[in-house]
Amino acid sequence: MQEITILHLFPDLLNLYGDTGNIACLKKRLEWRGYQVKVVRCTVEDNQMDLTHTDIVFIGGGSDREQKIVCSKLLEKKKELTEYVENDGVVLAVCGAYQLLGKYYKLDDETIEGLSILDITTERGETRLIGNVIAQSPLFEQPIVGFENHGGRTIINNHEPLAKIIKGYGNTGDTGYEGVHYKNVFATYIHGPLLPKNPQFCDEILSCALRRKDPNFKGLEKLDDSLENQANEAIIKRFG
Amino acid sequence: MRKLLAIWAVKILSIVGKLIGRKSSNAPGVVALKICPDIIRKCSKDIKKGTIVVSGTNGKTTTNNMIYAELKSLGFQVICNKLGANMIGGIATTLCQEANILGRIHADYACFEIDEASTVKIFDQLTPQVMVITNLFRDQLDRYGEIDITMQKLKTALKKAPKIKLVLNGDDPLTASFGTLENVEATYYGISEKVLPQINEVKEGQFCQQCGKPLKFEYYHYSQLGNYHCPSCGAKRPKIDYEVKNVDLRKGMNFTINEKPIHIDYKGFYNIYNVVASYGACCAMGIDTENFAESFKGYKPQIGRMEQFEFNKPVILNLSKNPAGFNQSIQTVLQDRRKKDIIITINDNYNDGTDVSWLWDVDFAKLNDGTMNTLTCTGLRLYDIALRFKYEDIHVDEISADVKDAVRKSLNTDSDVVYLLVTYSALYATQKLLKELKKEWEENLCKR
Repeated sequence: MQEITILHLFPDLLNLYGDTGNIACLKKRLEWRGYQVKVVRCTVEDNQMDLTHTDIVFIGGGSDREQKIVCSKLLEKKKELTEYVENDGVVLAVCGAYQLLGKYYKLDDETIEGLSILDITTERGETRLIGNVIAQSPLFEQPIVGFENHGGRTIINNHEPLAKIIKGYGNTGDTGYEGVHYKNVFATYIHGPLLPKNPQFCDEILSCALRRKDPNFKGLEKLDDSLENQANEAIIKRFG
Repeated sequence: MRKLLAIWAVKILSIVGKLIGRKSSNAPGVVALKICPDIIRKCSKDIKKGTIVVSGTNGKTTTNNMIYAELKSLGFQVICNKLGANMIGGIATTLCQEANILGRIHADYACFEIDEASTVKIFDQLTPQVMVITNLFRDQLDRYGEIDITMQKLKTALKKAPKIKLVLNGDDPLTASFGTLENVEATYYGISEKVLPQINEVKEGQFCQQCGKPLKFEYYHYSQLGNYHCPSCGAKRPKIDYEVKNVDLRKGMNFTINEKPIHIDYKGFYNIYNVVASYGACCAMGIDTENFAESFKGYKPQIGRMEQFEFNKPVILNLSKNPAGFNQSIQTVLQDRRKKDIIITINDNYNDGTDVSWLWDVDFAKLNDGTMNTLTCTGLRLYDIALRFKYEDIHVDEISADVKDAVRKSLNTDSDVVYLLVTYSALYATQKLLKELKKEWEENLCKR
């Protein structure tokens, strides 16, 4: 059976709130379908990663202070990560990591340099944008539901947004769009355990990774998602 | 005159609140502050001997109530926000309720628990002599922001109270770092031996507060509490002034503080911290702690802190409101080896934090230790918590919005004990419901 490797970048610093939910979801939904899964943690301390044997990269959110520490570490890997993305490598970047994929994140008194993998820029706004989010992506049928909590406002220039906001703030609070979808990069402000309540989103990411690995990939086996769908619908019913 | 009006307003609003069955301890104080913006300063002037405040993420209510119990046992008159209304309105309410109709307060001491984010505003008016900081964990990110923000707020507040004596949890690198600030006088409490099995949980404060490099831990008690040092700059767990040793969790809890034996009758390892924190607070205030161990005999745990209801089997209610608290709750449940039904209620009201992402930072896998009989998920976020278990491969027996029905069902299983772990906004409702069920159950017993 095929083995899929998930690389969790800097889980010791970027783990603001429930990010492990995304790793658990990616892993379980592969295992339930009979795939072998290896999760590799690249921590600040050992700082080792091997992207040639990586199928999915996950980067989570952090506080502004932690983002500053992580940024210099991340920039050391700029070349490798850029090549990986340009070669259709799959990335899920959440919240703070979404900002760091762009050119810069401008805080009140300083500017954090980003990886420039995406042509996007972020500036800190006056208020934090906090609350439940519902957004429709063109990539799959089920609306994405989740929670956002960010001070940054992100301008995505010519990039395709990940989804159109139905409820919530999204990239800037007034453009009506959320996140970025570029090649196999999925970047979003919807933080924490984003994937468990969005099984179609999770499967979209998994399909991208499997297709890249195996050109003969025929699609994912269906799972019983009744509980996941109930959780998704409950949010839409309450907040939509 | 404004002061008197404010006090009367609180008294009237509290009576009206009781009549219409709304027990808000915050709202009357908010009105009082509108009438007389410095009502807290004016009222707190009358406190004769001193004021102690308790802040931090977990353990505020229990620690503060233990300080209250100790002071009362020594025969002092004490003001205390016992029910945990800990924002600026709650402090104003408590003070105004204690004042007589002429606006005078007769009290030797005041002890208040204070919400971390509210310390800045409250310290404009209130000048405590002693402040306990219990710990700093991730909690309600949507309301408090990141831990860094909470720490910044506490630092700003401390600047407003230059002569304050800090009593800090030395086992928490984040909390202990307040002791290195300029112009503070700090003492520390801590547990100086490894007691619990090491569990897998998300930990804050893994990086040195002085130099930013990773800390090394000799052992953890839970979360980031433990014995630590920084290999890079040499910073380390401070010298402990109030030191717990000889911990034995078998019958209630037995341990020593500075070699004096203490016994408490309730569970929860974290309660050792609450006891030693209250001991430290009393010492810092210069209160005689000779009979400290005795004063605990009269102390009753607060609502929903391992609160036990007797049916044909015990039903135990415990507040579990953030990852550190929930992990401790689970540890305590696991120490009970009886066969158990577990009901978990997760709400996302303002008081709970509207973001339930934190559920993924709780080590729920531990619950699956073979003593669990049935598992029920309830609350406004019942599907979120059920999904959390699904991705841990733990079978959920029931997903139901009806807590009462869930308790009834578990009374009829062949388990020996039922645990209800609930978030803050579900606490009072669940307690009320258990009292109703108890009445129902006793009536049925009579009929038979």
